[in-house]
Amino acid sequence: MNMVRYRIRHRTAYSYSGRIDLYHSLAHLRPREDEGQETLAHCIEVLPEPKVRAERKDSFGNITNYFSIEQSHDFLEVIATTTVLRPEVTVRLPDSGVAWDDLVVAPGEKDASGVRLGNYLLPTPAFPSFASVTEFLAPSLIPGRETMDLVNEVMKRIFTEFKYKPGATDTGTPLETVMQQREGVCQDFSHVMIAALRSIGIPVRYVSGYLETLPPPGQAKLQGADASHAWVEAWTPATGWVGFDPTNNLLPGSRHVKICHGRDYFDVQPLKGIFLGTGMQTLLVEVDVERM
Amino acid sequence: MNGIATPRGGLIDVNVPPELYRPGEGIRDEALRPDGVPVHGWGEFFESYQRHGAAGLVEWREVALRISRDRGLAYRPDRGEGPHWSLDPIPWIFSPEEWKGIENGVAQMLRLSAAILADLYGPQTLLDRGLIPASIILGHRGFLRALHDSPPGERIIGLGLTAFDLARGPGGSTYILNGRFDCPYGLGVALENRTVINRVLPNLFRRCQVRRIGYFFNEWFDYLAERSPRGAENSRIVILDSDNGSESSEIGFLANYCGITRVLPSDLTVRNSSVWLKALSGLMPVDVIWKVTHGRDLDPLEANWRLTAEGVPGMFEAIRRGTVAVASHPGAEVLQSPGLFPFLAKLCRELLGEDLALTPAETWWCGDPASKKHVLANLSGMVIKSVGHHRDFRTRYGQRLSGYELAELRARIEADPERYVGQEELQISTVPTSRDGGLVPRGAVMRSFAFLDAKGDPRVMPGGLGRVSTAEGVIISTRESGESKDIWVRSHSPDAPISIERRLEQSRVISPEVVPSRRGENLYWAGRYGERTDSIARFANRLVIGRTAGFSYGRNLEAKHEKTLVEALFRVFEADLWIAKVTDPDKRLSLILADPNCPAGVGPNVSSFYRACMAAREEWSLTSILAIESARNRWFARTAGEFESPYRYENELQNLALHLAAFHGLNLDSMTRDEAWGLLDAGARMERMSILVSLLAYILEVDEPAPMGTLLNESVLFVSDSLGTYQSKFHSVPTTDYALRLLLGEEDYPRSMHYLLERLENVLQKLKAPARSAPPHERVAPMRADLDAFLARLEDEEEFGAAKRREALAFLHSMRDRLNELHDYLTISYFSHVGYHG
Repeated sequence: MNMVRYRIRHRTAYSYSGRIDLYHSLAHLRPREDEGQETLAHCIEVLPEPKVRAERKDSFGNITNYFSIEQSHDFLEVIATTTVLRPEVTVRLPDSGVAWDDLVVAPGEKDASGVRLGNYLLPTPAFPSFASVTEFLAPSLIPGRETMDLVNEVMKRIFTEFKYKPGATDTGTPLETVMQQREGVCQDFSHVMIAALRSIGIPVRYVSGYLETLPPPGQAKLQGADASHAWVEAWTPATGWVGFDPTNNLLPGSRHVKICHGRDYFDVQPLKGIFLGTGMQTLLVEVDVERM
Repeated sequence: MNGIATPRGGLIDVNVPPELYRPGEGIRDEALRPDGVPVHGWGEFFESYQRHGAAGLVEWREVALRISRDRGLAYRPDRGEGPHWSLDPIPWIFSPEEWKGIENGVAQMLRLSAAILADLYGPQTLLDRGLIPASIILGHRGFLRALHDSPPGERIIGLGLTAFDLARGPGGSTYILNGRFDCPYGLGVALENRTVINRVLPNLFRRCQVRRIGYFFNEWFDYLAERSPRGAENSRIVILDSDNGSESSEIGFLANYCGITRVLPSDLTVRNSSVWLKALSGLMPVDVIWKVTHGRDLDPLEANWRLTAEGVPGMFEAIRRGTVAVASHPGAEVLQSPGLFPFLAKLCRELLGEDLALTPAETWWCGDPASKKHVLANLSGMVIKSVGHHRDFRTRYGQRLSGYELAELRARIEADPERYVGQEELQISTVPTSRDGGLVPRGAVMRSFAFLDAKGDPRVMPGGLGRVSTAEGVIISTRESGESKDIWVRSHSPDAPISIERRLEQSRVISPEVVPSRRGENLYWAGRYGERTDSIARFANRLVIGRTAGFSYGRNLEAKHEKTLVEALFRVFEADLWIAKVTDPDKRLSLILADPNCPAGVGPNVSSFYRACMAAREEWSLTSILAIESARNRWFARTAGEFESPYRYENELQNLALHLAAFHGLNLDSMTRDEAWGLLDAGARMERMSILVSLLAYILEVDEPAPMGTLLNESVLFVSDSLGTYQSKFHSVPTTDYALRLLLGEEDYPRSMHYLLERLENVLQKLKAPARSAPPHERVAPMRADLDAFLARLEDEEEFGAAKRREALAFLHSMRDRLNELHDYLTISYFSHVGYHG
C-alpha cells in the first residue's frame, strides 16, 4: 500500500494583557495509532516550561496530555509537531447490507477498539436532546434504505443545505441555533450529523483531525493556512467505522489526518485550559499540514 | 425474667384513646396499632403526651421553633428556592429490634453500591454480562468517563458518607426509594434537629435511652483521617460546599459542629498536582476532601461540557496521583440512576451472594419492551423518572397529569424508552405529627446515613432525618418542602454522653483553625459594604430631610443643592452613567431609594453587605447574625414596591443606620482581634476614607460660593456624620477650610482621616506579611506622611484660596490612588494568591 507522509505543525499561542500565574491544560493533540495511520514522530513543546506533565489514554483510547504551568507568564505557546504516515487508499462507500430501519445495535456491545457503542448512541451534555434535527432528517428516512446510503445522503444534505461560514458560531453555540440558522463550521456540521444519525439509532462518533489544503493553482501555499478539521464516523456491524466529511461532502481519504475521536467536540477538544490570573487573552492558532 | 422486655418503656401499659390519636383506616401507622396499643418503643411517648395533652403539644412546637430561630437555623423560608424544612417536635421512634432490621438493610445497600461502583469504574463486568443495561450507565450524566482509569481502591475512596431514603410499607417491609451518593444533603439538618429536640423533650429523650449520633461523626472523621495520603497524623480535612447549592446552608452548621473548615471550590487550588487551601496565611496543603458538591462539577478541565469557572481545575489529576483523598468518588452519582432499581435484587445475589434485605420501590425500565408496555398501560398511576438525570426531564407524577400531559409523556417514552423508568406510587406508613394542637397521622420517609469504614465495615448512623408531608395523602418528594423530624433509635442501655473534648482534640488535628482567603475577602467586603451602605443611607437621609423639613435656604437653592448632592453621590460611587439621562429629581431619588440594581442605591448595597456577611457566616456571633438579618429584612420588607414619595423612607433609613451601628458595636465587643478582624476593620476604614476623599474632591471641584457652598459643606459634614462635632467645635457655619481640617486632621476623632490611617496601620499588623513582600501596614506609613505634610500646609498662614484648593485636590486624588493600590495589593496577596509560585 502506498503511504503518504505528512509533517504537521499545530501552534497555539495565547497572549494576555495581564499576568497569568497558574494554568492547567488538557491537550488532545497526539494522533491515534490505530486504523492504519502511523505516527513516526511527535512532540508537544510548551512555553513556559510546565511544572507537571502527564500523558495517558482517555476512555476512548485517545492519547491526552495534561500539563500545568505554575510560573508567572503573559505569553503561552503550545506547538505540537507530528509526522504521520497515512495510507493512500481509494475510498468507496461500503455496503452495510442492512437497512437503517432494521439496524439494531446493543449499547453494551464493543467496537473493535473495545469501546461500547452505547457511547456513540446516547445524548451527551452538549446535546441532551435530538429533537431539533427531526424535521431536517425526515425527508431522508425512506423505509428500507441501506444504512450507509442513508448516512451518505445525510452528509450530502448537510453540505448543500448548510452554509459554511466561519465566525457564525463558536464552540458554545447550541445545536438548536445551528439548525435554525443553517450555517456554521466543520464542528457544527459534524454535530448536526451526529445528532441526526444517533436519533435513529446509528452509532456515530466525532473525529478531530487535519485536512491538507491545496493552494489555488500556480500559487505557493501560505504558512499557517491550514486548520484543525472535524468530521464523523458511522458504524454498522458489517462495515465497522466509516468516515464522512459533511463539510466537504466526501469520504475522508489520505488528505485527512485523524487525531482523536469521541462522542462530540468536547471529548476531544485539541487544547483547553483554565488560567488563574488577571487580564484578557488573545488567541492565535496556526496549522500547517505539509506533504513530504 | 419473663416480661422485662427492653427498652424498659416499651412495656408501659397505655391505651391510646382514639380522640387522642387515630391513624387512618387500613394504613399502617408506625406508632399505634389498630387496637389502640402503642407499637413497641412508643409507650413513653404516648404516656407523656397523655399527661401534657394538646397544650403540651403546642408548647413543644413553640419551643422547637424558638430554639431553631435562636440558633440562626438553616431553615430559611425567605430564601425562596429549594426545599426548606421546618421541624415537627414529635420524634419518629424505633425500638432496638426494629432498627436492627433497617440498619442491616442499609448496610447491605451500602456494600452493594460500593461493589457496583468499583465495577463501573473498573472492569465493567456488570455491563459485559448484561446485569446492568449499558445505556443506563453510559447515558447517565454522573458517569464520569474522565475517571475511567481510576476505580476505588487503596488510594481512591469509593463511597463516602452516603444517604438512603427509606419508607415503610403496609406489611412492615422497608422500601428503599433513593440513594444519595454524590451530595448526601440532610446530615446537617438531622444534626440540628437532634440538638433542638433534645432541648424540647429532655425528659422523654432520657427515658427512652435514645442512641447518640455524635459517635457516628467521630467515626466518620477517624475514617477520613485514615484515608489521608500523608497518614492520619498529617491530615487536613476540609468540607467542600458549593456556592450555589440551594440545600447547602446546613453545611455551614455541619462544619461548625464538626470543627472542620468549610471551603468552596474557589478556596482550593491545585499546584504541582496537590490540592492547597488558599488561606490568609498562605497556601495550606489539603489531604482529604469531604465533598458535598457534585462530582461532575469538581474539575472543569476534565468535564465534557464547555468550561465553567466553577470547580477546581487539576483536581482529577491530583486524585489520580493519590495526593488527595476525595469522598465520595466523584463518579458516584451514576449510582443514583433509578434505572438500577429493577436489577438490584439480582445484582445483590451476584455480587454479595445475599438476598436483598430492603425492598426497592418497584420500578420498570422502559428499555425493556415488556416493562415499557406495563408502564404505558398504567401511566396515570406511575412516577416517571429519567434514567440519566438529564436536565430536560423532571420527575412526573402520573396522578397529577392532565390528559394532554399524559399523552405528551407517552410520546416521549415511546420515542426514547431507554431513557425512562416508571415507578409504582407507594403506599407508605404514617407517623404521628403535630398539627393545629392535635396529633395527626402523616405519610413519612426517612433519610438514613452510612459509610464503610477503613476495614470495609458498614457504619450506619443510629438516627437520621425524618420527613413528613404537610398535607394528607400527598406524595413526598425531596424537592418539595415539608416538615422534618428527629429519628430516635432506642437502646437497651444508655449511651455515654459524647465527649466534647475528644471531638475538639480531633478537630485540631484534622482542621487546624485557618481563615480561608475567600472568607477573608468576604470579611473585607463586609467591612466595605457595611460602610458604603451606611454612607449611602446618610446621603439618602440628607436628601429626604431636604424634601420633608427643608433647610430654610429657599426652594430654588435647595433644589440646586439636591441636584449637586445627588451628583456627588453618583460620582463617589462611580455610577455617573445611571443618571446621565435621568433629569427628573424624583426619578433620581427613586434610583437611590428604590432601584434594585443601582450601585449608588441603598437596596443593592444592603444586599451586597448581606451576601458578604453570609459568606463569612462562621465569623459572626448569633446576635451579629440577627443584626445583619434585621438590617436586610427590615429594609426590604418596609420599602418594597414602587417608589412613591421620599417620606416613607425616612424611618427606615434611620433603622438601617441603627442596625448597622449595632453590627459594628457587636463586632467591636465580641470579635477576637485576629487577622479576620483585621480585614473586616481594614475594609471598613478604607471604604470610609475612599468615600471621604472622593466626596471632598467633588465639593472642591464644584467650588460653590456661599450660601450654596455653605449648605453643601453642611451636607458633606452630615454625610460624614460630623455636623454635630463641627458645630460644637467651631460654633460657626461650615467653611470648606475648617471642614477639611476636621475631616482630615482632627486627632482622636474616628471620622477623620488622621485617625482612620492610624487605625488602618494598626489593624493591618494583624495580617502576616506575604512571602517576598513588605508587610501591608508599611504601605500606610507614606500615606500618613503625605497627610501630615498636607495638614501642615492647610494650617499655615495662607488664606484658603485657589492655590490651596488646587493643592487639596491634588492631595485627595493622590490619596485615592494610594487607597486603590492598597486594595489591589490586599486582593492579590491575600485573596487570589496569584503571586504564589511554590
